[in-house]
Amino acid sequence: MLTLNPQTRKKLARFRKIRLGYFSFLILGAMIALLSVAELFVNSRALIVHYNDTLYFPTYGSFYPGTTFGEDYSYEANYRALAKSFEANSSDNWVLMPLVPYDPYENDAKDGIMRPEAPDFSVGHYLGTDTTSRDILARLVYGTRTALLFAFAFMCSVYLIGIVIGCAMGYLGGLFDLFFQRLIEIWSNIPFLYMVIIVFSVIPSAASIPVRIGILLSVMVLFSWTSMTYYMRTETYKEKSRDYVAAARVMGAGAPRIIFRHILPNVLSTLVTFMPFTVVSAISAITALDFLGFGLPVPTPSLGELLQQGTANLRTAPWIVTAAFGTLVIILSLVTFIGEAIRESFDPKQFTLYR
Amino acid sequence: MKLKLYLALPLLILSACGDSPPPEQAPVINNTEEVQQYYKDHPDFFSFKTLSDVPTDLNWESGGDLPEVGSPNALKGGLETVRLADFPRTLRTVGPDSNGGFRPWILDNTTMSLAHRHPNQLDYFPGLANRWAVDQDSKTVYVELDPDATWSDGVPITSDDYLFIFWFFRTEYITAPWYNNWYENQFTNITRYSDHLISISIPELKPDTDSKVLELRPLPRHFYNEVGEDFLERYQWRFAPTTAAYVIKEGDLKKGRSIRFTRNTDWWAKDKKHWRYRFNIDRVNLIVIRDTPKVFEAFKRGDIDQFGLSLAEYWYEKLPETDPDVENGYIHKKWFFNERPRPPYGLWINTDQPLLNEKSVRLGIQHATHWQLVIDQFFRGDYDRLNTANDGYGRFSHPTLRGRPFDVEAAMKHFADAGFIERGDDGILKREDGTRLAFTLSSGYESLKDVLTILKEEASKAGIEFRVEVLDGTAGWKKVQEKQHDIHFSAFGYSLELYPRFWETYHSSNAYYDAFLDDGSINPERKSKTQTNNLESFAVYEMDGLIDQYRQASDSETMIELAHTMSELHHEEASFVPGYYAGFFRLGHWRWIQYPEDFSFKHASGPTQYFVHWIDQDIKTATLNARRSDQPLSKSIEVFDQYRTPTIP
Repeated sequence: MLTLNPQTRKKLARFRKIRLGYFSFLILGAMIALLSVAELFVNSRALIVHYNDTLYFPTYGSFYPGTTFGEDYSYEANYRALAKSFEANSSDNWVLMPLVPYDPYENDAKDGIMRPEAPDFSVGHYLGTDTTSRDILARLVYGTRTALLFAFAFMCSVYLIGIVIGCAMGYLGGLFDLFFQRLIEIWSNIPFLYMVIIVFSVIPSAASIPVRIGILLSVMVLFSWTSMTYYMRTETYKEKSRDYVAAARVMGAGAPRIIFRHILPNVLSTLVTFMPFTVVSAISAITALDFLGFGLPVPTPSLGELLQQGTANLRTAPWIVTAAFGTLVIILSLVTFIGEAIRESFDPKQFTLYR
Repeated sequence: MKLKLYLALPLLILSACGDSPPPEQAPVINNTEEVQQYYKDHPDFFSFKTLSDVPTDLNWESGGDLPEVGSPNALKGGLETVRLADFPRTLRTVGPDSNGGFRPWILDNTTMSLAHRHPNQLDYFPGLANRWAVDQDSKTVYVELDPDATWSDGVPITSDDYLFIFWFFRTEYITAPWYNNWYENQFTNITRYSDHLISISIPELKPDTDSKVLELRPLPRHFYNEVGEDFLERYQWRFAPTTAAYVIKEGDLKKGRSIRFTRNTDWWAKDKKHWRYRFNIDRVNLIVIRDTPKVFEAFKRGDIDQFGLSLAEYWYEKLPETDPDVENGYIHKKWFFNERPRPPYGLWINTDQPLLNEKSVRLGIQHATHWQLVIDQFFRGDYDRLNTANDGYGRFSHPTLRGRPFDVEAAMKHFADAGFIERGDDGILKREDGTRLAFTLSSGYESLKDVLTILKEEASKAGIEFRVEVLDGTAGWKKVQEKQHDIHFSAFGYSLELYPRFWETYHSSNAYYDAFLDDGSINPERKSKTQTNNLESFAVYEMDGLIDQYRQASDSETMIELAHTMSELHHEEASFVPGYYAGFFRLGHWRWIQYPEDFSFKHASGPTQYFVHWIDQDIKTATLNARRSDQPLSKSIEVFDQYRTPTIP
């Protein structure tokens, strides 16, 4: 729909020149790519199992019961134990485990006692374990993935609603504008946290984890779209009075076409500069909610939950808080750097004195 | 959680301000006439006789020979700071919001009843009563009140204060149906013979007939003469005259922040044998700190004097033997094994829910929950497996029943009986019609959420999915009271009683309205009954009969036999998965806090329950000085296992 005009291409070239932002973008991109296939790196399921001349790839798809590999139990095969027993039997069978051979839910109690253990490379707990002996790296990876996914979904939804309503307000003006302005004024005064708490107390318990995350997302979106509308409204107002809009109208273009094909590309720069900061605030919000116990349901791995554990065990297990806090700082910095770079490269007043 | 409470706080204060109208606006109420009229209207219940009507052949007891409670070495004085998890929502001891964590301070642990069970011997020692006598034939207990007894405002305690409770707890004004019911049905008569002699009768004889009467606490008639329609608001923040050693003085209640108790130096019982070495500390300052980790930090700084270490995390990790404060003897650690009814921590299965109404599913769940792992790895083997819902009642507890062990094969066999044979892609069993074997496992214990996640992980091996739902305490309790739960992890706090109760938890009348038809078959149109303690929706016709017999039985042997039969039946129904119990409590305290030689009591539930500790100011100064100059003092970690119950294999 939106073809890149030379102006935009120039902006992108400028973005590429801002090294901090550009490299942050590359790093974050690589991270997201890796996270989307995190199962290949952090998993208690093996990558490949070679058993009796057959190759198995358990990572994705349905589970293999222990009986598949000659064990005497019908629940999911314990691949770490399997690897050991294959090795001990010195048979042809072998197991290739991922880099971090743990999933974020299992309790891997050393000496049969669940407690936080410091990082130990020899057993594959690269960032240590949490209070119930779950691998912190595994929980971080999957927690970060959920947070990022959540943040992007949040951003898209907020922008979709914000753009549509904001543009309509600016373009249509009049009563419509007046009505929505008042509505937004009232709406944005409803305390968001209260609503989350209230909504969460009435969610049916039977709802599965993805559904609960979805509900949390929609509640957050419902109370966050308002701020975007005002920017879009003013921008649209401004653009609407320009000659090219009048020209389009004379040629018989309808309102949706004018808004989406003519005005939107021209206000894009405002929009784009806000995006990274929306992502930052979404990640912070979901982390904060988790920290307070109103976010993702137990035992979903999450940054906030790790932070909470970390602060509760500050003296005895400093590695928990270090890992969670470090991850949060890195991600938020990356996104902020990208945001700064975008803002700078999309800034029309390139040679301003106020730099 | 924290934020929620902070948010709730301003609301609380606002509503508190809104609830209590300024005194000058409140209408003047005097219920004296209403109460007198009530006595007249119930002549069978309220009798007025003279001393000459008291039978002469009574066998009076006084419990005066029981050993003293506390240590003669106890010193009076000092200030103790105690943590309060949440600011109380009211100073009432009855009515909405009154049954919270604060009530023991103004009722259960501090005020006096007629007599009290000795915490080591279980027999009664005198409280407000001088002596008492049980007349088996008329199911009546005669009580002579101590003429010295006064309220904290100096007004003498008389028979009228006891008559009054049977009006007060039966009125609708107090909005407390449980009390209404209890005082309506558990007593049949109160007779006033003189200012200091009364008798109270009960409907059925029991092995502990005396306890029903002796544990009654009076109410200050003169203070509650304004009880009326607006009771809840009028008495919301008024501190009642008390029989306790501690009072709240004007201005010592800072809403949302702290409450200070001051020792009443004119307390009438201060020189009485069983009371003189208790309630030693002059001022107790209760401050609100919501986060437990913060409380621990405050304790480590010495701002808070004592900290419970029952959780393994604190005993072993956060305050280990090698901690400098412990090593240098500034903080002492104590581990005390007790013997009392055990709170039944376990899974309460709501048998009114689909699938859970099938016994084979419940049996499968029994074998799919790995409590031993929780006990061994999470609680580090300190706790023990609970075997029935009524452990810790001595001979009344079943001697041979055992909690079913974790056994994947056995669990899957039971699930297969219910038609769950195939595993889905995620390893969870499903029926041919696609029904998954998945349930919500809820709990109001945020601090124990790890227990649930461990159970969930292990249970998935047996092909069952638990969806963990951790609620805050109030929301969790509301959920089970509404019978909205599938499986709930919880426990009841049992008070010190001789024998377990079955009616509350297992009688069908607490599960459904009209649970059975006349012939004992299930009423197809029965409706679930909410707001009861029958969390399992347990309704077995045979059980009802046994419970009725149990409630009518008067001798211990019959009751023991019935209790065992009922425990077996309950075990067979498999609607409760017994979890664990802690057969002890543990404490860390600063050196200046002193305890009697034996530390605590056989039947105590916690170290401070009987207020036998005291503060030694000299030791406090010495400890603080030593700590400042890093001087080591003698280290002390003590284990008191004289009352340890042997672990049943």
